[in-house]
Amino acid sequence: MIKYILKRLLALIPVILGVIFIIQFILYISPNDPAVVILGVDYTPEGAAQVRESLGLNDPFIVQFARYVLDLLRGDFGNSYVTGEPVAVQLAARFPNTLILVVVSMTLCTILSLPIGIQSAVKPNSWFSNITAALGMVGIALPTFWLGLMLILLFAVHLEWLPATGSVSLTGMILPAITLSASFMAGTMRTTRSSMLDCLNQDYIRTAKAKGVSHHDVIDKHALKNALLPIITVVGVNVGTQMGGSVLTETVFSYPGLGIMLTNGIKQTDTPTILGCLVVMAICIGICNLLVDIIFAFVDPRIKSQYSKRG
Amino acid sequence: MADEILQIRDLQIEFVSEGEVTKAVNGVDLTIAEGKTLGLVGETGAGKTTTALSVLNLVPKPQGKILSGEVILDGVNVLEQSEHEMEKIRGNTVSMIFQDPMSALNPVMSVGEQIAEVVKIHEKVDEKAAMERAREMLETVGIPGERAVEYPHQFSGGMKQRVLIAIALACSPKVLLADEPTTALDVTIQAQVLELMKELKRKFNMAMLMITHDFGIVAEVCDEVSVMYAGKIVEHGTLEDVFDHKCHPYTEGLFNSLPDIDNRKSELKPIKGQMPDPTNLPTGCPFHPRCDYCTERCSQEEPPKVQINDTHYVRCWLYENTKESQLKG
Repeated sequence: MIKYILKRLLALIPVILGVIFIIQFILYISPNDPAVVILGVDYTPEGAAQVRESLGLNDPFIVQFARYVLDLLRGDFGNSYVTGEPVAVQLAARFPNTLILVVVSMTLCTILSLPIGIQSAVKPNSWFSNITAALGMVGIALPTFWLGLMLILLFAVHLEWLPATGSVSLTGMILPAITLSASFMAGTMRTTRSSMLDCLNQDYIRTAKAKGVSHHDVIDKHALKNALLPIITVVGVNVGTQMGGSVLTETVFSYPGLGIMLTNGIKQTDTPTILGCLVVMAICIGICNLLVDIIFAFVDPRIKSQYSKRG
Repeated sequence: MADEILQIRDLQIEFVSEGEVTKAVNGVDLTIAEGKTLGLVGETGAGKTTTALSVLNLVPKPQGKILSGEVILDGVNVLEQSEHEMEKIRGNTVSMIFQDPMSALNPVMSVGEQIAEVVKIHEKVDEKAAMERAREMLETVGIPGERAVEYPHQFSGGMKQRVLIAIALACSPKVLLADEPTTALDVTIQAQVLELMKELKRKFNMAMLMITHDFGIVAEVCDEVSVMYAGKIVEHGTLEDVFDHKCHPYTEGLFNSLPDIDNRKSELKPIKGQMPDPTNLPTGCPFHPRCDYCTERCSQEEPPKVQINDTHYVRCWLYENTKESQLKG
């Protein structure tokens, strides 16, 4: 098992190198001139040439790529073209904020959608199931920015219960977390529902009932544990997606996270910032997938025995 | 007859899906005496499994509906019991072995846990004692007790069926419902499992309902046999009655579909045609479209139950005027 985890972690390295290569290549062939960004109003052709030379932008692409990777190994993400500050410092300040937001929103999403999904699978044709399915569709259909703005309007402007801007605090977290989880809730709910429905129709559920297992235990102990795999996959992928996909929510609430940093970087053509954000997100997604696979092994003994065979 | 442990009277069950009504069971009568084995024989779709599920009151809802009849298990009509009462009966007074051992075990629970669970529910014992019993039960069905910690995917099909038997017998039920317990297994394993079931039946003095389509199994383990066709018992009797004095054309057809080991050159004579569509059963005798002896009456009126002797009856117009005296003579 440990061997397997180490193997998977090693396999992350080429993935991240690939991500860096592709992003850097796209930025390399894009017509933006970093020298313009850095010099701003002080732009002169001579100054620009000097800046390009000092940043090594005249080197062949492959040299630039290698230099970035080597710097990265030392924890150096380069300096922002705009502020001149090290990108690593910015990342270290903002990454925890996004992480907290995602964890809170995913917890909220899971706590709400799991029981609803299970209940609507147990009684698939009830009014409860129909209403929650409809609400789920609404959740998917609502654009994040619109929902965020409406929540601000209601809770911050009219009711004045909560702050309009997001921050890393109990009250500042509520609205962004709701907004972020809304679109993921429907998916989690539906996966839970269909996965549970599938399991409830299996032969082993009939065996359990024939043993005299109570209705409650049939669902909790026999069906849910089998239904968990697809649910874990969805939640895991959602966490990964949210790490990179909280951009809209963060923008609406001016929440100080990675998302805003990335959009600002893009607006200002700040290559090191863009690269830094994307590398961190890629690592997060990779780790989320790995975590999902590890949790699988603990839920399903069939998968665990495969790992130990391969490990 | 006080020693009847299971009695099914005039059971009628139908399934409704997408507006179509499937008549699965149409007035079945069955009785099993304590310690005896009844074979329930018929083609796929004859309603055998549904009949057995009704004893557990586990006919799938809401599609399945029990229209009428009673199922009296150890003096209690299970169809009138609350869900809570049923939970105490299932696995305790009556248990069931299902057809497909590959999918009937929970893949994420160790087999020991799955056996221990039924013990914990019905006998107020703690975790440790239940696991101990689980290991004993595994030994009883011929699996080393240490394997209790293993998961279903680590067992072969025959072993899984043994585990299911262990689950079913863990609380020494009075009635065991065996739904084609050997159909999914290799022939060699079939013999082993049957032998095991026979032995355990004697040991626990259980009554058994053996659902099968294999007359070989019936001859091997059963005392009496009921032949089921389109949700009805068309012939019932002791092994001797049905094997040596079969009356119903359908029973005859089933026997003719078996290869004859003494005369290997003889061609098989399968029953012509298909099982009738249970959403649209033929009028009269449900077997008449496939019957070689069909008369006009067969297609119009349902045949009555004709008692051939004390233990043997048949539902067929052919025997309507047959007096017992004639048969004997």
